[in-house]
Amino acid sequence: MRLEKCWFCSSTVYPGHGIQFVRNDAKIFRFCRSKCHKNFKMKRNPRKVKWTKAYRRLRGKDMTQDSTFEFERKRNRPERYDRSLTENTLKAIKKIDKVRVEREARHHKNRMKGKSAKEHNEAIKEIDQSTILVKAPSALQQEPSLVKVSQPQLDKNVAMEE
Amino acid sequence: MRLIRSCCCRFLFVARLQQQRTFIQMRTVLKVVDNSGAKKVMCIQALKANKKGARLGDTIVASVKEAHPNGKVKKGKVVYGVVVRAAMQRGRCDGSEVKFDDNAVVLVDKQGQPIGTRVFGPVPHELRKKKHVKILSLAEHIA
Repeated sequence: MRLEKCWFCSSTVYPGHGIQFVRNDAKIFRFCRSKCHKNFKMKRNPRKVKWTKAYRRLRGKDMTQDSTFEFERKRNRPERYDRSLTENTLKAIKKIDKVRVEREARHHKNRMKGKSAKEHNEAIKEIDQSTILVKAPSALQQEPSLVKVSQPQLDKNVAMEE
Repeated sequence: MRLIRSCCCRFLFVARLQQQRTFIQMRTVLKVVDNSGAKKVMCIQALKANKKGARLGDTIVASVKEAHPNGKVKKGKVVYGVVVRAAMQRGRCDGSEVKFDDNAVVLVDKQGQPIGTRVFGPVPHELRKKKHVKILSLAEHIA
């Protein structure tokens, strides 16, 4: 059984799942679920739809170049029979998976580097620049008109919604 | 309000694209994808198929509506044909589904032997199950 990749989202299509569309030039489009099939029928470009693998790869969200991806590949060469091949492969899968997960975590960490500092700086900037919006409670007590000014505006908004 | 209307238009547009496909039934016009001489046939009966009509791989009786001037099959003849492509999806043995771009047929005689000597475009491998191995061997692509 061959595990194919979905044309739209690049996830694995397991046997018995999804639908395949054969165009008149014999190109086969496989879809993992009706969501992907519908998006294809709507003529959406997977590179422009945020949840697809194509989008994430294009924007550098996911790890793209790695030696662990080389193992999972379509090979059209018939393999010479070897008794221990399956056993060795199964053993290797576990190891390679572990390595790949680690590398992906590292990639994510690198990508998120400096994010907390950036958020911190932005928060400081907002506090510095928008203190005008915050009215101190003591100021309101001195000038009660400040509270009343905002009241009719609110009413107007309600009327407009109706 | 305008926003809501634009949303509606978009929805209708999408609904139009996702057309509901149905069985091949009486008066369905199918493309002929062999060199028998016929170009278009109209289904007049689905043979031994579902009550509702024929699907991918089923045999139909059809009338020739358009034909090449000097082909084997003439316009107005009643012929048998195997549906080799259908726009309506058909379940495969593993539970997945397959569908094609158009409705196409290959003309056969009563014994199930193809009339033409060539078959154009992709055909499904399910034809083997239906004992149309000759069509499969003539086909350009098998999907």
